[in-house]
Amino acid sequence: MSLIEIKDLKVHYPIRTGFWNRITDSVRAVDGITFNIEAGETYGLVGESGSGKSTTGKSVVGLEKVTSGSIMYKGVDITKKANRTKLDYNQDVQMIFQDSLSSLNPRKRIEDIIAEPLRNFEHLSKDDEKLRVLQLLDIVGLDADALYKYPHQFSGGQRQRIGVARAVATNPKLIIADEPVSALDLSVQAQVLNFMKKIQREFGISYLFISHDLGVVRHMCNNIAIMNRGRLVEIGTREDIYNHPLHIYTKRLLAAIPETNVNQRAAHRASRLAVEKIYQEQQSKYYDENGEAFPLIQVSPTHAVALPENIAKQLASQEGEVQA
Amino acid sequence: MAENFEQHSDVSAADLARLTQEAQAEATPSTAKIIWSEFKADKPAMAALFIIVGFILFVMIGALFINTPKMMETNIMGYFNQPFTSDYWLGADSGGRSVAKQLIVGSRNSIGIAIGLTIISSTFGICWGLISGYFNGYIDWGMQRVYDFMMMLPMTMMIIVLVTIIPHYNSVTLTLIFSIFYWEGTSRLIRSRTLAESEKDYVSASRTSGTNHWKIIFREIMPNISSLIIVDCTLSFAENIGVETGLSYLGFGLPSQTPSLGTMIANANDPNNITQYWWTWLPAALEIIILCLSISYVGQVLRRAADASQRQGAAD
Repeated sequence: MSLIEIKDLKVHYPIRTGFWNRITDSVRAVDGITFNIEAGETYGLVGESGSGKSTTGKSVVGLEKVTSGSIMYKGVDITKKANRTKLDYNQDVQMIFQDSLSSLNPRKRIEDIIAEPLRNFEHLSKDDEKLRVLQLLDIVGLDADALYKYPHQFSGGQRQRIGVARAVATNPKLIIADEPVSALDLSVQAQVLNFMKKIQREFGISYLFISHDLGVVRHMCNNIAIMNRGRLVEIGTREDIYNHPLHIYTKRLLAAIPETNVNQRAAHRASRLAVEKIYQEQQSKYYDENGEAFPLIQVSPTHAVALPENIAKQLASQEGEVQA
Repeated sequence: MAENFEQHSDVSAADLARLTQEAQAEATPSTAKIIWSEFKADKPAMAALFIIVGFILFVMIGALFINTPKMMETNIMGYFNQPFTSDYWLGADSGGRSVAKQLIVGSRNSIGIAIGLTIISSTFGICWGLISGYFNGYIDWGMQRVYDFMMMLPMTMMIIVLVTIIPHYNSVTLTLIFSIFYWEGTSRLIRSRTLAESEKDYVSASRTSGTNHWKIIFREIMPNISSLIIVDCTLSFAENIGVETGLSYLGFGLPSQTPSLGTMIANANDPNNITQYWWTWLPAALEIIILCLSISYVGQVLRRAADASQRQGAAD
């Protein structure tokens, strides 16, 4: 059984208009997505901004009110608040936020920040709690003298590591990492990612890794889901997504990865333009008449794409993939 | 579970005392220290602080030694006595009552009302604003309609009506009557900041850490808007001195046997007093100006202390 099973998850925000403030329409931030996260793996959720990936992450951790669908954990639907409270759900599922500065309360000392989940879930003695905080700081590579400082006294990378320490504090089974490194510069990104990988090895944590940076996702994730306009357009292993992308949206994302090889600049540019041209011309083939993605079709045991069945089969055979 | 952490970290119970000590050596100074160093860096504010504290202590203690009913008796011999004489340091008013003594007792009454009013109305306004802003949705909607209704009432007129229909009112009932109306501005101000603040990630982080709503409101959000709260409290304190004064000036504040800054300034109603007998109203007017200025100086320092980027004091 998977650690977390997300089934047909929908998060809609009502749009109210008119004199009576009636609900006339809704923004479909997340519109029926289904995927599973296995224990100990890193699951990548990729998409452009506004595609609903952060909303998905927040729903999984219990911060967002879900419109419909279910998120099963230990056989219980945790979209209901009562179930979350009963399970002490957030002891097992924690979150790392994108903006390291605003996710740490500027008026609290580091000790209090990291100890917050411990105080709520574990009720340790004062000394045990302090010891645990010191161990956590050690694990993320910070010195003990950080204990009584405030968040603004640290650099971005250090702050994000404090955020990681807080998320790990209760020894959770799953951590939602919502673009954990996109606010950091490249050298620090690698540092934080390596700490996250190290912690995963040592504690056997699963990550739901939300990002728009395909380079980072390739480094971190075994399974990847591509999200577009609130729906999943492609699910597959790292191999499937990077070497045999089927949906035009995935191809566009891959084409957008910056290349540093100057000699092939022209070639890259040409391939980018080719992908963009296909996207502009063949929108109707890849999206339905409302401009939304189709339901997912399995093309191999690990690989699924949101296309009508005949097109999916055709594209898959072109890519030379083994048929399911 | 604890073993899990032991395995992957070199830190063990044996190091606890040593590491705690190391951390304490590097610790950021406490809030009280920061505020004090801010005052040291700003000399006018330091002077203002001493003026306020000294003056409040002086009138509070001084008023204990003055027999108010006796002081308020009319003494025909002292009719508009000149100031700076041995009997009347600051002269006397039309009833022959000592201006200096009235000033002390009056300040005690006015400042007492202002402090009481600030504490009651700000506490209520802050709680109202925080809860309304944090919970959003129906709770916010309901609380804001109550607020709108209160704002709709003509405040000064309501106070005057209440003062006239309550038979035996004194400074305590007057403070309570004022408090009914003076929480609104604070609550709206606090609510607007809370709305912005509760969207921030640290609130989400606290929620995923299992902290309950009340703790988030009063232990997480409130400290973060403390600079706003401090500024608002000091400003409303200065304003509240004026509230009582203004109403007493109009004749609807404290009863006339009870001296206050307002009843003293009301002496200036008479053109004769303005031109010839300036000592009857000028000391009270000057006192209000000095007090209000001093309070706003102190408020500025507190605001700077609450906001690390504005500090002028010694670096921590």
